[in-house]
Amino acid sequence: MVASHLARGIFSLGRRHLRRIGSLPRGTMAQPTRDAQRATEFEALLEPILAGAYGLALQLTRNRADAEDLVQEAALLAFRGFEGFERGTNFRAWFFRILTNTFLSGRRKRRPEAEAVPFEDVPVAYMQRQAREIASAEQAGDLVRAVLGKLETEEVTAAIEALPEEFRLVAALYFVRDSSYQEISEILGIPVGTVRSRLHRGRRLLQKRLWQIAQDHGLVAGAAPGEGRTG
Amino acid sequence: MSANRLTCEEAFRRLDDYLDRELGPGETAEVRRHLEVCAMCAGEFGIEAEVLDAVREKLRRIAAPPDLMAAISAKLAAARQSEG
Repeated sequence: MVASHLARGIFSLGRRHLRRIGSLPRGTMAQPTRDAQRATEFEALLEPILAGAYGLALQLTRNRADAEDLVQEAALLAFRGFEGFERGTNFRAWFFRILTNTFLSGRRKRRPEAEAVPFEDVPVAYMQRQAREIASAEQAGDLVRAVLGKLETEEVTAAIEALPEEFRLVAALYFVRDSSYQEISEILGIPVGTVRSRLHRGRRLLQKRLWQIAQDHGLVAGAAPGEGRTG
Repeated sequence: MSANRLTCEEAFRRLDDYLDRELGPGETAEVRRHLEVCAMCAGEFGIEAEVLDAVREKLRRIAAPPDLMAAISAKLAAARQSEG
């Protein structure tokens, strides 16, 4: 019957699959093929940039499990397109572009409408300005340094994650391994001038959020407006 | 000459691009000249650079989960088997 035929097919596929897994235990290179060499080369390029890729994925997805899934999905897509990678060029930029595009592609499927970003104009050097409100001009720099020293990685990550998406994507690419404006422009497919304006605004928003976190945690005097907490 | 010197406001408008080394050589030199003679701006530019460095440095502490590379290797191996 059709059903039993299908079942035999699935079973035989499963046995063939198992035989292959059994003949190529992980870590052995019994039959080094061109394909296996390609995988070895790909993994050797990926491993040194994996922490950066995960850090970027974490800021894009704002979730550890989703970040892991995103890196794995991007790695699979990148491996399938590895023939198109020009040897000797920037693997990190190439992989980060695939990772970002994978994220953007998934996001478009989930939410086709772009989210509107309310305009919030934060002045340049926000932390220094705030520091000067509670310290002398000479001590303001030391206060900013002290705040930065006390902020944890998780708090900085949370501040970036809280940025509106158009700023968050640019800021994540900028801060993770120093992508240039040009590199960010190529990865996101937006003009360099747009990268510049989003990055500059995003950094000011980031400073404001970092300062608010510092206030909330009592690292500097005064509560964030509307928070009703004392420092 | 002083006619070519930037004011503090003009220098600050170039702060972000200067810190990111995105200015052309001429503007970079103009900002640098201003910072050489204006201790206040030099101090503030320095703090802004420290803010950026601190954010970068903290983000670099993010480590990939220990089993992520192994999971990727397994996924690639499975893909090669199913495609081969």
